[in-house]
Amino acid sequence: MRTVLPKPETSIRARHQRLLPGLLILIALLLFSTLLSLAVGSNGLPLNVVFDALRGDGEAEAQYVVGDLRLPRTVTGLVVGAALGVAGALMQAFTRNPLADPGILGVNAGAAFAVACGVAFLGLQGVTSFVWLAFLGAFTVTVAVYLIGSSGRGAADPIRLTLAGVALGAVFSGMTTGLTLSNPDAFDHMRSWNAGSLLGRGYEVLLPMLPFIGLGIVLAFFVAPGLNALALGNDIARSQGANIAVIRIVVILAVTLLAGTSTALAGPISFIGLMVPHVARWIFGLDQRVILGVSILLAPIIVLLADVLGRVLIAPAEIPVGIVTAFIGAPVLILLARRRKASTLS
Amino acid sequence: MRTSTSHPILAMTSASAALVLALSGCSAEGTEATPEPAADSSTHPVEHARGTTEVPNDPQSVVVLEPVELDTAVALGVTPVGAAVASNVAGIPEYLGVEGVEPVGTVPEPDLEAIAALEPDLILGTDSRHSKFYDQLESIAPTVFMETQADPWQENMLLIGEALNQQEESQQLVDGFNERCEEIRDEYDVDGKTANLIRPRDETTLSLYGPTSFAGGALECVGLSIPEQDWEDGLQADISPENVREAEADYVFVTTDDVADESTVPAAISENISQFPSLTLVDTSYWVSGVGPLGGEEVLDDIEEFLEAQQ
Repeated sequence: MRTVLPKPETSIRARHQRLLPGLLILIALLLFSTLLSLAVGSNGLPLNVVFDALRGDGEAEAQYVVGDLRLPRTVTGLVVGAALGVAGALMQAFTRNPLADPGILGVNAGAAFAVACGVAFLGLQGVTSFVWLAFLGAFTVTVAVYLIGSSGRGAADPIRLTLAGVALGAVFSGMTTGLTLSNPDAFDHMRSWNAGSLLGRGYEVLLPMLPFIGLGIVLAFFVAPGLNALALGNDIARSQGANIAVIRIVVILAVTLLAGTSTALAGPISFIGLMVPHVARWIFGLDQRVILGVSILLAPIIVLLADVLGRVLIAPAEIPVGIVTAFIGAPVLILLARRRKASTLS
Repeated sequence: MRTSTSHPILAMTSASAALVLALSGCSAEGTEATPEPAADSSTHPVEHARGTTEVPNDPQSVVVLEPVELDTAVALGVTPVGAAVASNVAGIPEYLGVEGVEPVGTVPEPDLEAIAALEPDLILGTDSRHSKFYDQLESIAPTVFMETQADPWQENMLLIGEALNQQEESQQLVDGFNERCEEIRDEYDVDGKTANLIRPRDETTLSLYGPTSFAGGALECVGLSIPEQDWEDGLQADISPENVREAEADYVFVTTDDVADESTVPAAISENISQFPSLTLVDTSYWVSGVGPLGGEEVLDDIEEFLEAQQ
């Protein structure tokens, strides 16, 4: 067990002073990236045409591009980003592992396997038919991970859960690869989901997912004070009156809701859940309530900016957002690892 | 390696080899009652992507690893014993109308053990896809590789004809295809008409096929013209749904697994249907994958039927 040294008073005060302007800057950036996501795409429409289309005027092409493509994908990006950011922050606090991401509980592997089965055996095509199946797969595998991780003595502790998640994840990824290799057609249909994309998720699949994400976010903020106590170690947390078993169950439920829904909607988008909480801790310190609040704003900014980048890099075609986040995420991760004082968890 | 450890394995191998010999001896005796015409054991040299290979003049069991090789071989009357398939689920394409062709893995990942088990006397493959397998394939049977599936398919057909010792016949197939194109061009009013072939890839990508692609070439061959795009090797151009209007043409063909199912039209097109007054669903299995003279005939059938309906 690590000895917890009190942080110098000035550092904490400095971080508190950063909080308000920091949040204002984040909100401004979020608005800016939302507007950018509406205004910029592989079809180089002029700005005035975009604004006409947003008001419902202008030519049919602009109305289609802005109203039917960019608007829903922007909303999807906001929702998926917020969910991934919060899920990542929860996972890192819960496992006390700065390299944990939402996929560690097997969410992505479960969702991908369910989608592969749907494509290979049920002949499903198109993202809208994948969403519920992916959600079911993500949920089932997380429950299995929880049951395996909590069998034996005592409650499910983070290390056993992580091991169970990684192990089951490997098994399911292997089966998914087997399915898609023997059926490249299925692979073709899965490809866009697998790369992670925000395009083509209409409101009819987005809206039913919102309650799950809303519930996940509420649970996350509800459990944040408990996670603060848990960061001091199980014994101190218990002495402060935290119910560790309840905290664990609530965290797993919230992560499953958030990561499962966002993966079902957009496919596995990597690095967001890993990278964003790091940046939040680095700038604003270790209070879980602050980390969650910052992640919920910062993650959608990065998702939207990555998506915009993917639209313009190889226009007139596009790169799916998941590939762009991987390209951005890898160097950011190396940078984080090379910093002299890594943004540790305590 | 110490030789003593490998002895048992050697012994086992030779024992099983002897068994195989004995078994094949049996089967040879069994067929002796109805002797087939003795296979021509003479060979001819074929120059191809990996050098020059002596291949049998009258190959009895051919394995093909590329759709154009399967289609051309069947068209030339040589039904392969094994073929790499686009999908293990769909198997050998139905449009070919052949039976008894053993699937030997997928086109990108052929199954070498399954190929060896068929004991072929000729293997046809593609250097751009199967380069790393060449040495292993060569140790199974004489192997001829075409350069790349991106080359004009009729040139690849001629190489396949040469490998199967049917140069003239393959030339006739090429000429027959081109003559039929001209007949269609003369018969119907295609002057100045544009056409696009769209393959919906996924939510982010629509692929347009260019003039040197197989089915794109067929459209141009009958006199339709494909609007200029930023082609990759003249084969294909990918566009985002945002740029769907770049796919506009007088006649638009969209590939699908089920031509009767209109819901397979991608959303980008069905939501802008007023921009696509002439929209026809066509079968992916031969418009995209049916590269070769037989698939070509099917594509021309579809085009002719479509143009007939326009009259």
